[in-house]
Amino acid sequence: MDLQQQYELEKLFKTKLHQAMRFYLETCTHCGLCVDSCHVYNSMPELRYTAVGRSEVVRKIFIKYFKMQGKIAPWLGETMEMDEFVLDKFYEAAFSCTGCRRCMVHCPFGIDTQQIMSIAKLLLVGADKEPKILSMLSDMSINKGEQVEESRAQYAEAIKNIEPEVEAIWPTPPGKKTIPLEVEHADVLYVALSGKHSIISAAAIFNAADINWTLSSFEAVNFGAFLGDPQRTKKIGNRIIAEATRLKVKTVAIVECGTAFRIMKQQFGKLPFEVVTFVELIAKYHQEGKIKLNKVMTEKVTYHDPCQIARNAGVYEAPRYILNQLSDDFVDMIPNREENWCCGGGGGLVAAGDFEFRMKSSKVKADQMKKTGATVVATACENCHSQLHDVCGYYNTNQHVEFISHLAAQGLAK
Amino acid sequence: MALLSMLSMIPFALNAATAETLAADAAQVVDAVAEASVVAEPTGFGIVLDKIEYFILIPWVYLSIAFMIFGIIYRLVSIYRAPKTPFSLKIYSSKKESPLSAWNDTFMLPQVRRNKPFFWISLMIFHISGVLLILGHLDILPTISILSEDSKHMIGAGLVGVGFTLPLFHFLFRRFKTPIREITVPADFLLIVLVLFLALFGDMISWGNSWTANGFITTKQKFAEYFQALATFNFENPRYYIWSPHYHFLVIHVALANLFFMLVPFSKIVHAFFAMPINKLRRK
Ligand code: HEM
Ligand code: SF4
Ligand code: SF4
Repeated sequence: MDLQQQYELEKLFKTKLHQAMRFYLETCTHCGLCVDSCHVYNSMPELRYTAVGRSEVVRKIFIKYFKMQGKIAPWLGETMEMDEFVLDKFYEAAFSCTGCRRCMVHCPFGIDTQQIMSIAKLLLVGADKEPKILSMLSDMSINKGEQVEESRAQYAEAIKNIEPEVEAIWPTPPGKKTIPLEVEHADVLYVALSGKHSIISAAAIFNAADINWTLSSFEAVNFGAFLGDPQRTKKIGNRIIAEATRLKVKTVAIVECGTAFRIMKQQFGKLPFEVVTFVELIAKYHQEGKIKLNKVMTEKVTYHDPCQIARNAGVYEAPRYILNQLSDDFVDMIPNREENWCCGGGGGLVAAGDFEFRMKSSKVKADQMKKTGATVVATACENCHSQLHDVCGYYNTNQHVEFISHLAAQGLAK
Repeated sequence: MALLSMLSMIPFALNAATAETLAADAAQVVDAVAEASVVAEPTGFGIVLDKIEYFILIPWVYLSIAFMIFGIIYRLVSIYRAPKTPFSLKIYSSKKESPLSAWNDTFMLPQVRRNKPFFWISLMIFHISGVLLILGHLDILPTISILSEDSKHMIGAGLVGVGFTLPLFHFLFRRFKTPIREITVPADFLLIVLVLFLALFGDMISWGNSWTANGFITTKQKFAEYFQALATFNFENPRYYIWSPHYHFLVIHVALANLFFMLVPFSKIVHAFFAMPINKLRRK
């Protein structure tokens, strides 16, 4: 690596050094209390798969380039030069970390490994070494934002085609559209994913509750965040913010997608609308008597708390509430809520990670799911759903994975 | 020597009368030793040593404490001058949160207590002893009287020092074992060893100091004179007013303390100052 590139990467590193990041990089006592927190380490006990092992790779570069210690006594912290080898280490650290932040719960200081990994990810983008699939998907989302007007008719057509599937679950209230688009002053703007499954159940529930809602023209998922590129993350999120502001909606409900929800709720500052995850709305509509749910589930069901919805965004009880309306046989995983094990697919790993790694690193998850004795694993995140589906197959857990919204739509009653 | 004289008394302890006579004898011996070592004008290499010891006991103490204070301010200011973090980094607790949660996290380490109870006990004993040690040192000043001025001991009568020292052995030895071994960098070992020796010399001049037949070799009142001199910026050579056979140990203790002070802002001990603000990030 030449000096010029080193300098460019150093500059990029500097853009990440806000106050919290400085605290995270300057406080670790190497106490090792985070070691057992990581599902990857628990499944494959190697130092590089611990939280501190990962952040040390970044910290050593930080000390080398930004601290006096790195200049006068680099050996004290075993610092490293920025070079190709380090970039490979960055890749290994950042793309084996799902950003679940379970380690942050256990660290006596609350050091956020996900944040530290975001430096590694940004530098990989800067060095053109990021997983190309993630940058491609990000750019596709951004393009879609720029060309939304041209594709509007085509989109409306595609949506029209899935309306019968919604109506098969719940009849559309008279005088209303089954899947409304572009409704100004709607109470809810629902942001789905590109798969139709993410629209059908939700539309049926909105219609059953007779809500003034509208479907977003964009998909919620933010590949920019997985990629670790703040600019692309912003652009992708801004498409939805602009749409919600233009339509003057009261609430933006994010599909069952953890990262999309957390990014929108936490990382865009104060917004002129409320941000909720769709699961919260289902629980709310039921509590307000707008929908009824039958106990249609006959199998034992458990719930996987998606990290970005639960630990990192605070939604713990709504999904449990819904499952208890649908079943008499709900059992929590142990551990659960903020202590729950990550599914192993977050942080872009489902899209970019290698399958073997994703499966091997989820051994604790498979064991935890099996122990519940449930045959249905419900969850509220697309990423978790895909990952857990693979994990159930790989470890033969004899379980199937379901979205909360899908289960709720099945249980809708008059 | 003092310890030996005390241990040698044990076989006779059954016979109280003999023990008393021996104790009296031993006391005379110690007095004699103390007298013989009463401060003499240094000569030869002693002159150089005296100059070094004076530098350690007086000017370096001021320099290192000033360095520490400026260092900590510098570190904090440099962080707070960085751009504000533009988003929340909160972890949501499923339990009830209160404005005091971050304080609880910082000072009670509830997660450590749950996950690693043995390490938690060590950490708590160590840090509480650490705070008591700071108080204990301040208490030596005649103007601060947590314990009465004529009490012989520091706060805890030596136990606080032991409470500070034993966990350090635990901290050190756990670093030899996988996986902590692999996450340890040279700075971690050096710091523990420094603090450990600082503590051991402290134990020696506080607790060990009392293991003599006739009480203390250097009394707390003597140390008070030294502290008072420091507090009043009286630059006299302490050798002339607190001389004892333990004088050199005191000098080593103070030298290690000075090193420690200078390292505080530039080692991981800054966690003492960062623990609270960083823990707040997790709760807000
Ligand atoms: C009065 C302020 C404090 C001082 C002077 C202090 C000093 C120290 C020292 C000297 C060590 C031993 C260093 C070592 O093991 O290498 C240590 C360890 C530690 N301290 Fe503190 N500390 C303070 C406050 C805190 C607070 C508020 C926390 C709570 C989060 C904390 C958490 C820890 C932890 C987790 C370790 C273990 C490090 C290891 O495993 O080596 N300390 N502290
Ligand atoms: S954020 Fe999750 S995956 Fe990453 S180091 Fe922490 S526990 Fe492991
Ligand atoms: S628990 Fe926190 S302070 Fe301890 S090693 Fe891990 S990141 Fe560092």
